[in-house]
Amino acid sequence: MSPPLTRARPGLVRSLLRLFTVQGSWNYERMQGLGIGVAEEPLLRNLRAEVGDDGVAYRAAVARGAHFFNAHPYLCGLAVGAAARAEHDGVPPEQVERLRTALCGPLGSLGDRLVWAGWLPLTSGLALIAVALGLGLRAIVAFVVVYNVGHVALRWWALRAGWRYGAQVAQALREPLLQRATALSAPAMALVVGAALPLVAQYLSSAFFGWARVALAGVVAGGFGLLWWQRARLTGVRLGLALLAVAALAGWLWP
Amino acid sequence: MSIALYRLDDRLIHGQVVVGWGKPLNVGFIVLVDDAVRASAWEQELYRMGVPPEIEVVFASTEEALQRLAEWERDPRVGILVAGDIDTLAALTANSHRVSRVNVGGLHHRPGRSERLRYVYLSDAEAAQLKTLAARGVEVTAQDVPTAAPVPLKDFT
Repeated sequence: MSPPLTRARPGLVRSLLRLFTVQGSWNYERMQGLGIGVAEEPLLRNLRAEVGDDGVAYRAAVARGAHFFNAHPYLCGLAVGAAARAEHDGVPPEQVERLRTALCGPLGSLGDRLVWAGWLPLTSGLALIAVALGLGLRAIVAFVVVYNVGHVALRWWALRAGWRYGAQVAQALREPLLQRATALSAPAMALVVGAALPLVAQYLSSAFFGWARVALAGVVAGGFGLLWWQRARLTGVRLGLALLAVAALAGWLWP
Repeated sequence: MSIALYRLDDRLIHGQVVVGWGKPLNVGFIVLVDDAVRASAWEQELYRMGVPPEIEVVFASTEEALQRLAEWERDPRVGILVAGDIDTLAALTANSHRVSRVNVGGLHHRPGRSERLRYVYLSDAEAAQLKTLAARGVEVTAQDVPTAAPVPLKDFT
C-alpha cells in the first residue's frame, strides 16, 4: 500500500523543486512530458522496495511518467502526484495513462482562468495602483513576493492534492475553496484592473502639460485602434517595444 | 446548425477545442466519442470540468455515435465532435455520408509514430488510413486552431 502523506513528504518536496524546471525540457514531441517524468521520479523510488521485482515496476512507471503531457505549469503537479499515487496503488498502466491524458484539459483551463486571467493580472493591477499612489519600488517588491507566495502555494497544493487522491483526483478539483477562487478570480481581476487604469493613466501623464497631453491622448487612442485593427499580428508588448524604439530614435535625432 | 467540426485529437477535450474552436463557432455542445471514456465515470467528470457550464458535453461510444449522428446533425445548436483515434472517426464515416470533412487537430508522439507536423505524429498505417478516408471523398486537413491555415492531407502524409 502507499505510504501516508507525512512519510512521503521528502519525496513531495523533491518533486516540487523539480517541478519548477518543468518547462525547461518543453518540446513538440512530448511537451511537458519529460519535465513531468523527472518531477515524478522521487515519488516512485520506493516502488523498488514495495514491489520487490528488482526495479522493473519502478523503471516502467518512470518511463510512463515521461510520456506526452501538457497543462498549466503551476498545476501539473496535480497530475504528477495523482499518477505517482496511482502507480503505488497498483492501478493498471493503461488507466494511469488515461488519467494523465484526462487531466491535461481541466488542469490547463483551470490554470488559465485561475492564474493567467486571474492571479497574475490581479496582483499586477494592485502593484500598478500602488506605484501610481507613490509607493515606488516597495510596490514592485511586494508584487514579486505576494504573487509568488500564491504561485508556490498553488503548486504545493496541487502536488499534495494529486498525491492524496490518486485516481480519484477529480474530488480535489471539486473542492469548494478552489471552485470559489475560480469563480471569483475573473471579476476580482476586472475590478482591480479597472481601478488601476485611470490611476496609471494619471500617473503616467503627470509629466505632460498642455498640447503634450493632447498628443499623448492621441497616441494612446491610436495605439488602441491599431491593436484592435491588427489584433491577429500585433500584441501590447510588440506595440510597446515599437513605441519605445520610436521614442529613442526621436530623442536621439531631436536637437 | 449541426456539427461544424469533426475533430481528431488524442487530448480529446482541452483548451484548443473549448476556447480555440468553441468560442468563434459559438458552440452549444461537444460530443466526445470514445468507448473507454464512455465507460468511465471519473474520466467523464474530468473532461466535463474543462468545459464551461453553458456548453453541453455528450459522451458516446462509437456504437451510440453511429445511431445518434443524425440527431446531432439536426440539432439547432452548433456542435463539435471529437474522437481520439482514427479508427473511431473512420467507423463514423464508413456508415454515414454525413461526415464530409475531418479536422486533424492533434495526434501526439507514441512509439511507432513519426513527426508529420508539430502537432501530428502518425505511424505509416495511420497515414494510410487517413488516405483511405480521403479516397472515400472525405476532406481531411490538419489544423490545430482556427487562426492557423489548414494543411491538406498530401502535405503531411
